[in-house]
Amino acid sequence: MSATTPVIELDMISKRFGGLVVLKDISMSVGPGEIVGLIGPNGAGKSTLFNVITALYAPEQGEVRFKGRRLTGTRPHNICRLGIARTFQLVRTFLSLTARENVLVGAVYGRGSRGGNVNAIADEALAMVGLTQQQHIVTEHMTLSARRLLEIARALACQPSLLLLDEPMAGLNESEIERMVEVIKRARGERGLSILWVEHKVDAIMKICDRVVVIDHGEKISDGTPAETVSNTKVIEAYLGEPIA
Amino acid sequence: MRERITVYLGGVVVLGLAMVPFVPGAPDSYLFYFLFLFFLHTAIAQSWNLVAGFTGQISLGQHAFFGLGAYTTALIWQRQLFGESYGYYFDPLVLILSGLVAGIFALMVGFPLLAKLRGDYFALGTLGFGEIIRVAFVKGGQFTGGPFGIIMPSSVYETLRPHYWVGLALAGGLTYMIHRIRRSHFGLALISVRDDELAASSHGIDILKYKLIAFALGAVFTGIAGSLYGHYLFHVSPDGFLNLNWTLYPILMAVIGGSGTVLGPVVGAFAMTAVFTLASVSYPEIHPIFSGAVIILVMLFMPNGIMRLAKR
Repeated sequence: MSATTPVIELDMISKRFGGLVVLKDISMSVGPGEIVGLIGPNGAGKSTLFNVITALYAPEQGEVRFKGRRLTGTRPHNICRLGIARTFQLVRTFLSLTARENVLVGAVYGRGSRGGNVNAIADEALAMVGLTQQQHIVTEHMTLSARRLLEIARALACQPSLLLLDEPMAGLNESEIERMVEVIKRARGERGLSILWVEHKVDAIMKICDRVVVIDHGEKISDGTPAETVSNTKVIEAYLGEPIA
Repeated sequence: MRERITVYLGGVVVLGLAMVPFVPGAPDSYLFYFLFLFFLHTAIAQSWNLVAGFTGQISLGQHAFFGLGAYTTALIWQRQLFGESYGYYFDPLVLILSGLVAGIFALMVGFPLLAKLRGDYFALGTLGFGEIIRVAFVKGGQFTGGPFGIIMPSSVYETLRPHYWVGLALAGGLTYMIHRIRRSHFGLALISVRDDELAASSHGIDILKYKLIAFALGAVFTGIAGSLYGHYLFHVSPDGFLNLNWTLYPILMAVIGGSGTVLGPVVGAFAMTAVFTLASVSYPEIHPIFSGAVIILVMLFMPNGIMRLAKR
């Protein structure tokens, strides 16, 4: 771990739904410019963790800190203005708006006090994901992969320092996945963004991430480089089941 | 470019309509009254369009705002709030105050409703609010005139001209405002709240704030329309003004014309005013049946409204 303060830091987070413990004492962090993958089997608690970070859920225990500042209780629109932008697992573009208008929403409302020209920011974000040509299409008429890219552009237009990606590969084919990987690499390379990336497709995560965190049944079972992760016996057990002894 | 031409044409049409009262004999014709009703309907349809069509919050309490606007005018006038010699008839201050009172009620009621309720539940909440206002005015005793309401001095009435002009200004101004909103950053926020609240709030939009602004703006203009209609009837009563029709008409007109479009409610208001007028003049005995049949036909063949059909 680097000596600099992490962009986002989770400290002993626990979350219950009634009697069901969904997250248990989870601590993790994402450093400046780092891409961290968050994986785990179905129902491991990935989405819940995501919603805790974006303050949609309040944890029973522990706290989330963004650049050292406590996030618990912050309203969602202020989370974005502080510098945390996200995409959604089930794509949520504004369907009746054009691609450009979608991105403008981020550029106009999502940036808090970060300065700059709204139109230039929208242009740049659209170019970053390669949707400049399609910017005047109403998103209702766009393909799933284009909408996923558009969500990333809309998030980038908020000029965040942390980007949260919620399964951006879901439903995409091989070539679309490749394109998405390129976009994510570029976003990090050109902007120096920190990225926390939840994904089901483990191979894509292993290719790009600096670090991978694995959770299973609400507990963190591994936190290390992709190479360390694939050789971790707990991880292998979580994905393949316990070895027959 | 096409849009510019439309705005330009709209301006010409409004100017032309503004000249109509100067045509000899025109203010006494039935058509003149029809146009006045059309403007009034456009204003309430556009108000609802702003809240529901653009921001996605289905309000079923518009009749409360219509009534509040009318009662505000009636109470100010009856009690001679600004002194005995003050000219209350078509006083801009009275009209604006009537809108503001409706808007203030919208803010007070909208804050808890919009913060806590979504979708159908918000709609039912506004319906409940509308009924509470109606009952409050019926039971208001001396202050509101009870079920009978308040009579204003109709001796000031000379012609329908001022009603016509104020109605035209209200309808035209509101439509132009909505056109500007549609193209503005403010409009972007409203539409994004309508399309996806969660995505809007996670991109920095304070959704409660924008819902409230839209709800209050819609109430202000509905209130002014109520005041205007009060100026025409000179008798503000629960039956005439706090009637659920004043919620249903704007919805019907906006939806039939195309809600969420700039010109849809204008087209819808014109079409429905024509249908209602035609039905009540030509087939008075089957008026509701005739109007109902037309509404069903339009819904069947143009499910997204007349304006959306024109776009294809």
